[in-house]
Amino acid sequence: MGNIIEIRNVNKIYGSTVKTQVLHDISLDIEAGSFNAIIGESGSGKSTLLNILGSLDDPTDGYIRIDNRQISELSKKELALLRNETIGFVFQFHYLLPEFTAIENVLMPYKIKGKKVTGEIMARANELMEMVGLSDVKHNLANNMSGGQQQRTAIARALMNNPKIILADEPTGNLDSGSTEVIYELMRSVNKEMGTTFITITHDQRIADKADRIIEIVDGRVMESRRPALEAV
Amino acid sequence: MRLSLQIANRFLRFSKGQTILIALGIAVGVSVQVFIGLLIQGLQDGLIDTTIGNAAHITVSTDDSKGIDNYSQIINDIEGSDLGITAITPSITGNGFLKNDETSEPIFVKGYDLASAEGIYEFADRISEGRLPRSNNEVLIGIGLADNLGVLVNDTTDIFLVDGTLKEVMVVGFLDFNVSVINNGWVVTGIDTASSLFGYENAVGTIEIQVDQVFEADAIGAKVAQIVNNDKLIVDNWKDQNAELLSGLNGQSISSLMIQIFVLVAVVLGIASVLAITVIQKSKQIGILKAMGITDGKASSIFLLQGFILGIIGAALGILFGLLLSYAFATFALNPDGTPVIPLSINYNFILTSGMIAVVSAMIASVMPARRSSKLTTIEVIRNG
Repeated sequence: MGNIIEIRNVNKIYGSTVKTQVLHDISLDIEAGSFNAIIGESGSGKSTLLNILGSLDDPTDGYIRIDNRQISELSKKELALLRNETIGFVFQFHYLLPEFTAIENVLMPYKIKGKKVTGEIMARANELMEMVGLSDVKHNLANNMSGGQQQRTAIARALMNNPKIILADEPTGNLDSGSTEVIYELMRSVNKEMGTTFITITHDQRIADKADRIIEIVDGRVMESRRPALEAV
Repeated sequence: MRLSLQIANRFLRFSKGQTILIALGIAVGVSVQVFIGLLIQGLQDGLIDTTIGNAAHITVSTDDSKGIDNYSQIINDIEGSDLGITAITPSITGNGFLKNDETSEPIFVKGYDLASAEGIYEFADRISEGRLPRSNNEVLIGIGLADNLGVLVNDTTDIFLVDGTLKEVMVVGFLDFNVSVINNGWVVTGIDTASSLFGYENAVGTIEIQVDQVFEADAIGAKVAQIVNNDKLIVDNWKDQNAELLSGLNGQSISSLMIQIFVLVAVVLGIASVLAITVIQKSKQIGILKAMGITDGKASSIFLLQGFILGIIGAALGILFGLLLSYAFATFALNPDGTPVIPLSINYNFILTSGMIAVVSAMIASVMPARRSSKLTTIEVIRNG
């Protein structure tokens, strides 16, 4: 399979008077349909890299191609459309809209497309809620759910538009080990069944070991990129 | 647009307290505007009505002691024109005295063609006792005058002039105009009686005119002068005669406008500051919506729509409060005779305009928050937690 994301010689420098270089000349290819784990110390630049991979942040220099489109050449509207259709985000803090119910939150990426919610779409949203095991609480406001439920809702939301890529920044960072296991199993099964590419930041070595590939970031550089699954064979 | 509206609606409903606070702020502003506007209008309408409601708006008169002899021709010409004339009547007026037994009072004799003068003075409605004069030498007198002289209806009295002319007249009714100068001094009679009293031969002293558009009286007066086309005749209008009243009314309008503008500015600043806080409160939501691919335009329209919704609710409440205040004022602030101090004058155009100005102001107030929302990026939200 080809590469869904390619980045070349990416540098990221924060600040104009006091400059802090967070990423140093990173080049990376992400294969379509793969499950990738990014690991590294705090402050190593993992989140910055993930945000750049997801087009949320701009690199200081270097280029990024997502789904064969060069990000720097896209207009704001095209970029918004790319995020809507191609990428799903799961953040460490769930960031559901507290004003809406769980199922409304799941439908939100579809509504942003500007199309009418048909019976078919509603069925898909319900199916996703069932898949993440939240059929019973789908009409609760986002704030009236547990942390694990909220994070699973966020995953269902990220899947709503059937994106090619899901980027997750420590999606289980605030959850107990039981919920963590459930959420990774869920992500893994979506990856296998739907062929969705996953890139997730994690601190949990056991989780990382289950990925197709581990990308280790040290001081803003890719130190090691290995394939634990292959090594195990 | 539909999604933005849905989100705007949810945001407003989620922060109910804040929403009610802003809507009330707008409502108070609008109600003050509606109340003051209607009050000033009622006051001005009342003043104008008292001043010129039962008076000539335009007069054609002459300095010639013989009077205007071709008056019926002039009246025909003016009536034939398209100037929005509502009433026109010839009149003869003059000073004299009314004598009863040993007492006499100075009077102002007003002789009219009573049928056409009815359009201006509504004598029939002003008669407190008796009837309109039907034949020569019958007069109506002010009710105050009747009191002072002890005259009763159907009494016969004498009018005499300074030149010694004396005429016996019969009082057929009393007039009550609620104005002491008129009640204590006017003697109203037919044009023929006045004509023989003051010695006009087939002539009248003045032609009195009322027009539809009272504030156009000066312009219409100029056109009347063109129609009359006679240097010896003087055409005058109420606006020129009441310049002070008009400048007073004008000053009042300006001060009321100033109050309304300042109220509006206060309301706009209030809404803008509360909405600015709302954007900060909702920045997480805006950030995640942008990560999901909402466009900057849609993100900013959420706040414009919030301003619009708040404006509509506030304006509707404000108009309601304003009307209630106005009704309360007209109902409870009364003169000793039970009439309202300031009569209520409902001007729907003004009320609608006030409401629309409020909605537009609320939207203007939401422009800054909307721009902030447009500029906000997901990465800012993620970084600042």
